[in-house]
Parts: sequence; C-alpha cells; structure tokens
Amino acid sequence: MAAEASGQWRGLRNVAILLLIWEIVGRFDLVAGGALPGISEILIRLWIDWGDYPRHIWATLYASTVGFLIGNALGIGAGVIFALSPTTLRLFRGVNIAVFALPPIAIAPILVLTLSGMAPRIALAALGVYFVTMTATVIGLSQADSRATDVIRAYGGTRWDVLRRVQFRGALPSILAGLRVAAPNAVLGAILAEFGGGGRWGLGAYLLGSLGRGEPDRLWGIGLVATVIAGLSYGLFALLAARTIGASRAVTLNTAVPDAAPRAGHPAARLALTLGTIALPFLVWWAFIEVTGVPDLISKTPWGVVDYLFLGPTAESAQARLLAALAETLPITFLGMAAGLGFAFLLAISSRLFPRAIDAFMPVALVTQTMPLVALTPLLVLILGRGTSLTLWVTISVTFFPAFVTLAQGLALVPRSAEELPRAYGAARWTEMRMVTIPASLPYLFAATRLTVPRALLGVMIAEWLATGKGLGNLLNQSRGFLDYGMIWTVAAVSVLLSVLFYQAVVMVERRVLRRLGMATAE
Amino acid sequence: MTPDGISLSGVGKTFAGRGKVVEALRDVTLSCPKGSFTAIIGPSGCGKSTVMRIALGLETPDTGEVRIAGKAPMGAARAGETGVAFQDAALLPWRSVRRNIEVPLEVLGRSIPEARDHVQHMIELVGLKGYENALPGELSGGMRQRVAIARALVTHPQILFMDEPFGALDQILRRQMNQELQRIWTETGSTALLVTHGIDEAVFLADRVVVMHANPGRIVDVIDVGFDRPRAPGLFSDPAFHRVCDHIAEVLHGG
Repeated sequence: MAAEASGQWRGLRNVAILLLIWEIVGRFDLVAGGALPGISEILIRLWIDWGDYPRHIWATLYASTVGFLIGNALGIGAGVIFALSPTTLRLFRGVNIAVFALPPIAIAPILVLTLSGMAPRIALAALGVYFVTMTATVIGLSQADSRATDVIRAYGGTRWDVLRRVQFRGALPSILAGLRVAAPNAVLGAILAEFGGGGRWGLGAYLLGSLGRGEPDRLWGIGLVATVIAGLSYGLFALLAARTIGASRAVTLNTAVPDAAPRAGHPAARLALTLGTIALPFLVWWAFIEVTGVPDLISKTPWGVVDYLFLGPTAESAQARLLAALAETLPITFLGMAAGLGFAFLLAISSRLFPRAIDAFMPVALVTQTMPLVALTPLLVLILGRGTSLTLWVTISVTFFPAFVTLAQGLALVPRSAEELPRAYGAARWTEMRMVTIPASLPYLFAATRLTVPRALLGVMIAEWLATGKGLGNLLNQSRGFLDYGMIWTVAAVSVLLSVLFYQAVVMVERRVLRRLGMATAE
Repeated sequence: MTPDGISLSGVGKTFAGRGKVVEALRDVTLSCPKGSFTAIIGPSGCGKSTVMRIALGLETPDTGEVRIAGKAPMGAARAGETGVAFQDAALLPWRSVRRNIEVPLEVLGRSIPEARDHVQHMIELVGLKGYENALPGELSGGMRQRVAIARALVTHPQILFMDEPFGALDQILRRQMNQELQRIWTETGSTALLVTHGIDEAVFLADRVVVMHANPGRIVDVIDVGFDRPRAPGLFSDPAFHRVCDHIAEVLHGG
C-alpha cells in the first residue's frame, strides 16, 4: 500500500512538473514564437470564448453519440453472428479489414456527397466504433470458459443456451473493454468528418475555422475540450468495466484447448470463399450507392472508378495526378511509420534497462490512447509550420504511442522465469535483452505494425489535407473544390485499397516469421 | 563444512508489500557437502523457493552469508559452476531443443561448436534423441521438463539447483523423471539442492530432507535418509520408506 501511494504521489508530482514547464515555456513564447501558449492563457481564452462552445460541443457530441450507438449495435450484432458462424467470419474478413484499415479522412468527402446533414459524421463515428466492438465481441464470445460450456451441454443445453448462459456473461468484460476503446474513437470519427465535410458547427469545424486566424490560445482551448470529451467518454466505460469485470474472472486455470475454426473441406468451396471475401467489400460499396440513390454523375461504382481511371477521356491526366500524389505520400508514410515504430520499440525494450523511467512514462502513453491525437494536427501546424516536417511528426506521433503501449504491455507478459534464466548464469542486462526480451517482443512488434499501418496513412493524409498542400490528402481536398467526383472516389478507393494491402502484407510476413519461430500471433 | 558445496548461514530476508512486511526467511542455516543431494520441503509460502533464489543470486539476503562452491552466488554463476531448473520449464519458444540447451553456454561465452558432442550427449541422456530440432511448442510437458534438466546439466555444474522441476507433471511421469534424475545425478556427481512439494519425491531422491515452516520461513528439522543407492522404484512401496515419509509428514504438520 505504501509503495502504491508513493507511486501515485510520484505520478502527480511528474504531472505538476510538466504543467509548470508548459506554463513557463508558454508564457515566455519559447516555442515557435508563441505557438504554444501557457496553460493559464489557454484557460483564460477558453473562459472568454465559452459562449461559442455549447453549439460546437453539442454538434460533435450528438454525432459521436448516435454514431457510437449505431456502430455498437452493428458491431455486437455482427460479432455474435461471426462467433456462431466461422464461415461468415471468413467471408466478411475483407469487409472487416477494410473498415479497420480505411483512413477516415479519405472517405469523409464521399459520405458528404452521398449522405446529408449529420449523417456523414454519424457514419464516420460508427465506422470508428464498429471494428473495435465487433472484434471484442468475437474474442469475448469465443474465449468463453470451455468447462462452463461443457456443463451446459452435459445437461442437454442447446447452442442458444450456451450462448445465453455462458458466453454472453463471459464476453461482457471483453465487450466492455472494447466499448472503452470505441468511445473516444467515435469522438475522433465525428471530428474527422467535420474536417472533411465542411459544416458550421462542431469542434472539428471550429478548429479548422480558427486555424486560419492564427490564434494559438483559442486552438489549444478547442483541442483541450476535444481531448477532455474523448477522455471522459473513455473514463465512463472504464468505470463501467471496472464495476462488472470483478465478478467474471476465472478463478482456476482453463486447461482445455479452444476449438479451432473448422476448415472448409473441398478446395473449390475454399476458393469460392476466398473470392467471396475479396468481392464482398466491392459489393457493399455498390449496394451503398444503390441504397443512397445518388445520381451517377456524383457517385461512382467500382466500375465507375475503373472507367474514370483507365478508360475515360481524362484517364491519362487522372493517372498522372494520382501517381504524382502517391509518390509524395507513400515515402513519407513509410518513413513516419518506421520512425514511430522504431522509437516505440527502442523505448519498450529499454524498459528492462530503465524500469523506473518507463513506469513514469507509461501513464502518459496510456492517456494519449484516449486523445483524438490526429485531430490535434492544427495545433502542430502552429508549431511546425506547413512543411514536410509537420507531416512526419504527425505520422510519428500517431504511430508511436499505440505502438509503444502494445509493445510495453506485451513485454510485461514475458514469463519471469524465462527472463531469470540468463541472469541465473550471471548474464549482463544486455545479454538478457538480446536472448530473451528482443525475440519475445517480436509478436508484439508485428501486432503494433498491423495497428499503425492505417494510422500512419491517416496521419499523412490529414497533414496533407490541412496544411502541406501535397500528396493524396491534398489531391482529395482539391478534387472536392473542383467537383472532380471521379477523382474523389478514386483517391478514396486507392487509399483504402493501399491500406488493406499493406495490412495484408504485414499479416503474411507475420504469419511466416512467427510460424518459423514457433510463436503465436499477439492480439 | 566443505568449501565446495552450498552453505547458507544466518540468512534472513523480508519483503515489503501490500501494507505489511513479510518475513520470508529467518535465520536459515544450511550446509550441503560436496556431492550430496538435499531436498527442501515445506508448505506454500514457507520461503523454500526464496532460499533457492538467494543461493542462485537472483535475490540478495538482508542478513547472513551465502557461499556457493566457496564463492559469492553470482560469482559462482558467472564461473559456470551452477546449473538451474525452474518450476516451469522456462524454455524460449523460438529456440529448438538443441538451441535451448545451449542457452547457458551462450551466456557464459563458451564455444558452442566445441560443445556440440556434449550437447548431443545431454539430449540423449534425457531421452530426447531425434527431437534436437523440435520447437518447445511441439513437445509434451514431460519432454519440455527434460529439456530443462538437460539445460541445467549442460555446463557440467558442480552445483545443481532445482525448484520443483516436476511440479507440473502427473504422478506417473513424475516417478519416471525421479528415476532419471537419480541416474543423471549419479553420473555427474554434482551437489544437488531440490525444492519440492512431494514428500515421496524428496525421500526417494535425497540424502537429507530439510523441512521448513512458514511465518516466518524457517528450517524446523533436517532428516537424514539413509537408503542405499542406486534406489530402485520398488523403494516407493517399502515399509521403511513409508516410515520416513510419515515422520516427515508429522514434522511438516507441526509435530
């Protein structure tokens, strides 16, 4: 108890020191000629501007709450179906990866074209929620204690009895943990839609509107409010989860091996399934256009995009512009991602060398998980200007923190005895790291890479859209201005496709490497 | 006291945690002569694993002195004079059986190519011929534990530490491994210290059984076991064997 209290005390002290440094740096305009105001200045400005806030906050809250509800209904519903039918899960793999990997800013203009009013914002918030909740539901349901399900079955219980009496209850902690992560995602989704869709009200619109006026203290105030809203939404579900999870942890160790997904027998059936997996996202795209009933001129089907990019009269110019934009965007995406992952990896493995420093940093890294980091890009524009370094830093910051948290939490799972073995033979810290810590971190490095691929692309596109005027993000923004509908759909399709391909490439390398090393894939 | 064995004198250790201070060990004095086999037995939380961790140099005692083969624990470890098998096999999942057994050699900076034949010999000694290149995930629990034993022996240790090495195995496999351990220990002639929960295992293997009690962790009795070696499996059903076991059980339960 004494140790815990002193740890909390140390944490508070660190935060206080940080805030003090911020205040001093801000008051004396030490960063980029006053781009970082002192905390007191930000708060005073927030007080002055307070009259403007309620309508903006209400708009963002409304979109994110409705999106959160819809996304969760879809996520839990789909999760239940997937858990019951592995074939359906397999069939929807393409759609699920696409939803996970799509950079929200890329499809924001499409949603604005096809939907109206608040619907685009709600849709993007719901998309940010769906994947997290769906995954949490599937994992929760399929990890149910197999001894408990055996008990129900042994008394003649049906599949539904098992689902109702064991699996739902067992999945609750996992689902709640999912909701906790999903809540700030909904806020982020709504803000990104506000960036990409115009409209007058909403914190994203407010940020964008204030960016041009060069008032750092106001921008920081809006960023602060957005962060607090996202943080509160996380805290609400963290509290809910803490109250429920206590009762449903297994007391004894489950030794039964979970059922593997059944493999479709016939090769032809398997081929059909794979083709279906690839075709389904395009079918969803096509169906979306049919349902919304937007005229052909504005909405492009998959075939419409192919026609625009390869067959139409402006195909050559379109290809040239797209390739030029990709040549700008892709290198910096990889560079930023590599740097973010590299920093995270070095910091995480050095936690064995400086455990106390990392312990002090961990709370900060965890807090960033609830922050709409990429939505704070306008603040970075103030500090870093509109050059390439902005793009790079936005990308590094959105990849570094989640990668670090994944790696550090993964490394904490390495069994103590495995680490003690080299030490029992008098190994130095470095030898211990080389032999145990670094190889053991591999599955988590892959998991972190999978996680950061779409975020890196999103970070680059946001920076390009809002500030630098280069690359894919800018092409998308320009096409919006020129009403070049073909290009809007093309950029959206290409960026989603690229993100999915990168993701899939990482998964394939991961599987091969980990299988060779006899290691399991980390979630 | 022979300087070559294990010697702990007046060792004390306290842990601070959860608002109270736990006295894990109080005045533990133990000396194991060279070539002897000593078993430590006691209830969970009596500090028997802490004794071993202190002897290994993974923990430092608050009071008292520890000498392993006449050296400080870490010194003995760096000189390659100790071998260790933990409660779980603690194999590195990404290394094959052979490469797992080579881990201590790598840490000690010894030549791997030169030790090739010896490593092969160790693999055969624990009966894993043909599994040299298998990964731990492909082995059964008993096989993994045998890899851990081979790894503990690969450095020709003078001192062999084992912390409940067969705790996760079933009774049948456990007896089989006890047999093998006795054979291997006889062949290597090392000083062995075994921490265990099993009374019969301790009596079957050890020259002396050290009984510990908890709160605070302390040694309450040392019982000599004089059966002739090599001990055959039939010993498990010998009345004399049961008398020793019953006596230890009495001491364990506060008799």
